[in-house]
Amino acid sequence: MPQFDFGNVFWPQIFWLAAAFALLYFGVVRLTLPKLGKVMDAREASISGDLEAAKAAKETADAVNEAYQAEMNQSREAARSAIAEAKAKAAKSTETRLAKAGAKSDATLAEAEARIAKAVAKAETEIANAAAVNAQAIVAKLTGVEPKLDAAKSAVAARN
Amino acid sequence: MANPMQQFSVETIKPLEVAGYDVSFTNSSLWMFLALAAISVFLFVGTARPQLVPGRWQAATEYLYDFIRKMLDENVGPEGRRYAPLIFSIFIFVLACNLLGMIPWVGSFTPTSHVTVTFGLAMIVFVTVCVVGVWRHGLHFMTLFWPKGANPFLGAFVFSIEFLSFLMRPFTLAIRLFANMTAGHVMLKVFGTFVVTLGSFGALPYVFGILPLAVVVALTALEVLIAVVQAYVFALLASLYLNDAVNLH
Repeated sequence: MPQFDFGNVFWPQIFWLAAAFALLYFGVVRLTLPKLGKVMDAREASISGDLEAAKAAKETADAVNEAYQAEMNQSREAARSAIAEAKAKAAKSTETRLAKAGAKSDATLAEAEARIAKAVAKAETEIANAAAVNAQAIVAKLTGVEPKLDAAKSAVAARN
Repeated sequence: MANPMQQFSVETIKPLEVAGYDVSFTNSSLWMFLALAAISVFLFVGTARPQLVPGRWQAATEYLYDFIRKMLDENVGPEGRRYAPLIFSIFIFVLACNLLGMIPWVGSFTPTSHVTVTFGLAMIVFVTVCVVGVWRHGLHFMTLFWPKGANPFLGAFVFSIEFLSFLMRPFTLAIRLFANMTAGHVMLKVFGTFVVTLGSFGALPYVFGILPLAVVVALTALEVLIAVVQAYVFALLASLYLNDAVNLH
């Protein structure tokens, strides 16, 4: 194999490899790659900057949305409590009016009952009187002696 | 019939001698400089006017450079980026030499099929690793070979093995690439001669050459793959060795 004929192939190849590689590294790669690296880094930076800006914008939007939601909740709460208050007020006023009306009707009822009781008592007395007078008359007719009215009354009362 | 080893013979183009050493310009030198020229065109055109939104050439060069940078990020860490130009140079030089050697032409030559060339490249890696290791860690670099928490006797034993394997690295690195390239080219040449011998069968010319020709086509595709993969392996191992020097463990 010619590869192992080091006496003839070693130094010429090592020398020209060193020359070619030195040229490649210092003359080509060192001149070109840093430019490329700079551009790639700039691109990376600009992309990550854009991403960061987008992230910040999203965060702002989220915060605004959150504030909006909170305000909405607050006003909803306020509306709810206003409704509850109004309802309670209405219920209370109805109750008081009902209570007032109830008291008035109770009073009227009581008055009417009292009047009825009076009338009943009066009627009863009149009936008793009439019965006593009748009894007086009956006794007078039967016995010829007219009893006293008071006695007849008590007798009628005793019969009841 | 041509010897399949003939493709590796180094032919002097212009005899030269410096300080008693033979440094003739040979076909090997010529193909190294062709590789250098191809890389130069690729890189100078690709980075002529670098733009934030890259064109085709710039995208291609960036793709390769980014590939090397990512490899260093993964294997060495943030410290590795400063060695990206060196690893990139090694990678693209090996890749260009491998691929130019795949040109199916009688005058083409693959410098990386010579163990001298691959050894030279491996020594660049090895010397860089030693210099970086000693420069960053001083004599502490030697702890790379010392197993942590071992007793002194066992430690000394492991140390000698580790140190020896460290010294073997340039050889394994060189021989891996050289053997892959040589074996592939020999195989291509062998099947190439089959095409001629079987195809010149007197009574039925050409017909029997078809099968070995198909094999050569398939092998060429495989060899192109190997050319790329071996350049990658060389650069990957170089970055792994560099990791030892930069981070110790």
